[in-house]
Amino acid sequence: MDPLSWTGSIAFLNPLLFAALGLLAISILIWILIGAVTPEDRSITNVGGTLSLSAGPQGLAALAVRVTFLASAVILLAYIVLGLFMGTGAGIIGALAQRMLPVWIALILLFTLSISFKRRLGLYGKLFDSPIGMIGFGLVMFWVFTGIFGAFDMIITHDPLAQASGMKNKAPGTPLRGAEEGDFAWYLLGGDNLARDVFSRMVKGAWEVVKIAPLATIFAFMVGITLGLPAGYYGGKLDTFLSFLANLILAFPVILLFYLLVTPEIVATGLPQYMAVVLFAFPMVFFGVLLNARYRTQPQKNLMILAVVLVPLFLMYMCLINAAGSKIDVWPLDFFDVPGGILVVFVSVVFVNSPTVFRIVRGLTMDIKTRDYVAAAQTRGERPWYIMLWEVLPNARGPLIVDFCLRIGYTTILLGTLGFFGLGLPPESPDWGSTINEGRKLLSVYLHPALPPAIALLSLVLGLNLLADGLREESLRD
Amino acid sequence: MSKLEYSDGPILEIDRLSISFFTRLREIPAVMDFSVSVMPGEAVGLVGESGCGKSTVALGVMQDLGKNGRIVGGSIKFKGRDLGEMSVEELRDIRGNEIAMIYQEPMASLNPAMKIGKQLMEVPMIHEGVSEDEAYKRALEVVTDVRLPDPERMLNSYPHQLSGGQQQRIVIAMALMSKPALLILDEPTTALDVTVEAAVVELVKDLGKKYGTSMLFISHNLGLVLETCDRLCVMYSGEAVERGSIEDVFDEMQHPYTQALFRSIPLPGADKNARPLVSIPGNFPLPHERPKGCNFGPRCDYFEAGRCDAGDIAMADVPGNDRHATRCLKFQEIDWNAPITVGEQKEKTAPGKVVLKMDQLKKYYEVAANALFGGGARKVVKANETLSFEARESETLAIVGESGCGKSTFAKVLMGLETATDGEILLDGQNIEQTPIEARDTKTISDVQMVFQNPFDTLNPSMTVGRQITRALEIFGIGDSDAERKNRMLELLDLVKLPRAFADRMPRQLSGGQKQRVGIARAFAGGARIVVADEPVSALDVSVQAAVTDLLMEIQRNEKTTLLFISHDLSIVRYLSDRVMVMYLGHVVELGDTDQVFSPPYHPYTEALLSAVPIADTSVEKEHIVLEGDIPSAMNPPPGCPFQTRCRWKSEVPGGLCEREVPPVRHLQAGHQIKCHLGDEVLERMTPVIKIAAE
Ligand SMILES: Nc1ncnc2c1ncn2[C@@H]1O[C@H](COP(=O)(O)OP(=O)(O)OP(=O)(O)O)[C@@H](O)[C@H]1O
Ligand code: SF4
Ligand code: SF4
Ligand SMILES: [Mg+2]
Repeated sequence: MDPLSWTGSIAFLNPLLFAALGLLAISILIWILIGAVTPEDRSITNVGGTLSLSAGPQGLAALAVRVTFLASAVILLAYIVLGLFMGTGAGIIGALAQRMLPVWIALILLFTLSISFKRRLGLYGKLFDSPIGMIGFGLVMFWVFTGIFGAFDMIITHDPLAQASGMKNKAPGTPLRGAEEGDFAWYLLGGDNLARDVFSRMVKGAWEVVKIAPLATIFAFMVGITLGLPAGYYGGKLDTFLSFLANLILAFPVILLFYLLVTPEIVATGLPQYMAVVLFAFPMVFFGVLLNARYRTQPQKNLMILAVVLVPLFLMYMCLINAAGSKIDVWPLDFFDVPGGILVVFVSVVFVNSPTVFRIVRGLTMDIKTRDYVAAAQTRGERPWYIMLWEVLPNARGPLIVDFCLRIGYTTILLGTLGFFGLGLPPESPDWGSTINEGRKLLSVYLHPALPPAIALLSLVLGLNLLADGLREESLRD
Repeated sequence: MSKLEYSDGPILEIDRLSISFFTRLREIPAVMDFSVSVMPGEAVGLVGESGCGKSTVALGVMQDLGKNGRIVGGSIKFKGRDLGEMSVEELRDIRGNEIAMIYQEPMASLNPAMKIGKQLMEVPMIHEGVSEDEAYKRALEVVTDVRLPDPERMLNSYPHQLSGGQQQRIVIAMALMSKPALLILDEPTTALDVTVEAAVVELVKDLGKKYGTSMLFISHNLGLVLETCDRLCVMYSGEAVERGSIEDVFDEMQHPYTQALFRSIPLPGADKNARPLVSIPGNFPLPHERPKGCNFGPRCDYFEAGRCDAGDIAMADVPGNDRHATRCLKFQEIDWNAPITVGEQKEKTAPGKVVLKMDQLKKYYEVAANALFGGGARKVVKANETLSFEARESETLAIVGESGCGKSTFAKVLMGLETATDGEILLDGQNIEQTPIEARDTKTISDVQMVFQNPFDTLNPSMTVGRQITRALEIFGIGDSDAERKNRMLELLDLVKLPRAFADRMPRQLSGGQKQRVGIARAFAGGARIVVADEPVSALDVSVQAAVTDLLMEIQRNEKTTLLFISHDLSIVRYLSDRVMVMYLGHVVELGDTDQVFSPPYHPYTEALLSAVPIADTSVEKEHIVLEGDIPSAMNPPPGCPFQTRCRWKSEVPGGLCEREVPPVRHLQAGHQIKCHLGDEVLERMTPVIKIAAE
């Protein structure tokens, strides 16, 4: 087997791409320069009502930017489409495009469905009116689908933990020595320091991120919301106290806390487990209060609904916090344990994010509680928690959804940071942070093991930020 | 900078103007085929309901339609020059220098971080390049002209140190600094209290005369336009429907919409028997749902199928009148003098036994004098001072007063959101003044309910209409099963005359009037016996106000509810209430039957309030009583009589008693009481404020 080159037989596209990108850069530069020197122009309305935009130099420059951008996008698309059909014939790019086939299909399905029904989908549908939002959503969903399909072993070419002899630190496109029938014959993005396939590890890493980041962020939101609502609603001493606490936590050197949490002596005292007891109880409390507030007037229905929701939650909760042979070992039906590292991740994410969420929720609550519908609820004798959870919270959802997207991004970075410090996930875990950390050691010699996860992390966070921008922009319009 | 050359002819001439806004869904035609002209020194009123395009016309004149707005037809000529053909620089010169605009919210035009004086002086310094001394002199002059006390101190203060009325005066002063040829006022007094509004309107009128400025006065209030303008243009759904001089339009209206509008507003000179309200059926069409042909067709009494909905209708001149035009095909066939035909008049049920009694109720708030450091000196705000009254079954008691008079505080104490400082509230003979709402039983809570002021705020935007009513039923323990409650909820929708299909709608799909109806349904969900309505119609358009008011009264009649109707609008109070209570700065200054309160002798404050109400009727003569100054802050009330800072009768009380002692409550006739030191013979001398001129 020959090593694969980057573009294989579609190398003829490369000069085109470079030319298009170069022109794009130049036209953007000119557009900015012209915009700075010429005055704004004004649309002039003719008597008949037709509109003629005075096509000054500025208009021309804007047109140039648009055309070159489109050209670049078309060429990039051509790489992928050609790659899909030619596979390894089109080099590494082609092979990657082909391996990602399920992701492309899922993305195309999602977008066509969403765009055709966008008028009926509320805020989510409006997202498809904003180019920024669509790009962001596309990037995010790309990694989500990659993660999901990766979890089913669909995209990966090799076992992300298996080491192949002779593949240590090999460059991208190196053929696998002694590949057997049915094995994929190349390490597409090369091998790492332990001779594992970088590409497969990156795909598996996506699953780690997709699995943990949103979940951990949800916990941070639950804590922030559960404390922010009463602080904003009651105000006074409670508010002063909680706000002070939030500021204190924000000022605390969090990394120190993480190191403490993984110190063997501390683990032995059971402290992380006790923290889990508190932390994982939040969803139960949250849903319990939420449903009870709504159905308290119908005791029987209330009891039934609470049982249906809370019993499974409670079982899950006990399994989560109970671990045989540790400090907390009281529950007989233990189906799974949480690795200590995951707990550190959750605690740290909640610690870092919930004070900020708290502040946002508190501010929104203070604003919304002055509305007449809150007064109406008060005058018909609703309890405070009903008002907070059913009258205030749903109407604060817009800014919270936007913030949620941003915060998943931060969490992803935090996950990387933790992995980088060797905290959190187990050392052989393929998550992006740990992989970058390993790659770092030989960075000056071999760049390729660290680069793919870094680019993946960057594009996911970028996508989340763009998505948040798009959502914000669209939720403000009409 | 020099002003535009100008010989004669209209200052502003809008000809067949059409303006559209482009959203991503569709083009929204906001103004269509709109023409009006303003002659030098003339004041032209632009009236219409919210959303009919009044402000869009104003922004069109300013050539400031934002990103997605565009003039799609017609022209706007200022002093004979087409504004659409001017360059950006020329327009910038004209705005502020020749055309000035005053908005509803004064703070929108003021820079909060700059002293008033500096902001005023900037205008001539930028536009005319005059020296600083000259500019200061001019600023001082206009501030004196807008009748602000102590002009030098005013120039030296920041906007937030002034009250709303003073801010609006400063904005007017700023607009006048450059001696503009045209002043556009977009609802300049909506954010102000009635008595302050009356003073500002008076000022605008006088200044217009003094400076010879032409004015385009935008308002939804026909009475205000009558008081300020020479000519009037009525708009409906993006079109001008009638145009003419005030006398022609008010007395010889030639368009069914104008007629319907006049019939739907109460006049304080008449009560409900003399002149019943007729509401306009249906709703205002949304810009993209306008019918073919006449926009008013679906709601018009004179609608003729096949003719009115055939095609576009042009403005037609009314023969015999000066510049009077109407957009109705049938104006020459309609008998404009036909008497109002109304449905049967239902007799009011007589008031029954006393259900609610307030006795010497007091509510004081303690506030920290220094906001930053909670400790130190504390101040007491007396929001309610010795409130006493009784309310009977199926009676309407109106509570009248301007902002800060303690109306809302009183409602809060009654509802149990706050507890009283002193005094008693008896509901069916039981004390509830110290029982906060958490401690009240379901029966008490469902007995006393409230209808709120702002229709856009009264419903939770994230819950369906049906769900919100059902929730009230659940809370009040009505119905044994979900099915039963659903049934009851649908019945409540019937009660407030909404289609049952609305149960599944979200509040944003409802119009303001419809939302207010849902709010009423919710308040009556538990069979309320006392309903506090806090300005329930003041935020609604005139054409739906009448319908909502009638609905409230009808439900009240059927359910024998006691209605506590909080309002600052004396016209509507006269129309629907049995008794009236006038409040000022936490005190009840007058209480009595509607007739007693609306005829002399008055409390001096009631007299001023009555005089301040703009009345849309040319045959009414009103005594003009302009109150000096603003309402004092409740944090810092004047000593003695609360009204003494603005009272015009104070000099009639010997020995400065008004400044020293709070007047005692005096009973004049059965059930009529006022809080004033004036002697009987002075009270005798008072004459009615509102007189219907002899025909
Ligand atoms: N929670 C509070 N703390 C301190 N002062 C208050 C409080 N609530 C009301 N006040 C004061 O009490 C006075 C009466 O207020 P209230 O809201 O009852 O007036 P209002 O007549 O309803 O005015 P508006 O028509 O503007 O709503 C005001 O001066 C207000 O500043
Ligand atoms: S044209 Fe017809 S529908 Fe329109 S206002 Fe005149 S009579 Fe009514
Ligand atoms: S007591 Fe004096 S100041 Fe007060 S209202 Fe009467 S006359 Fe006016
Ligand atoms: Mg109020």
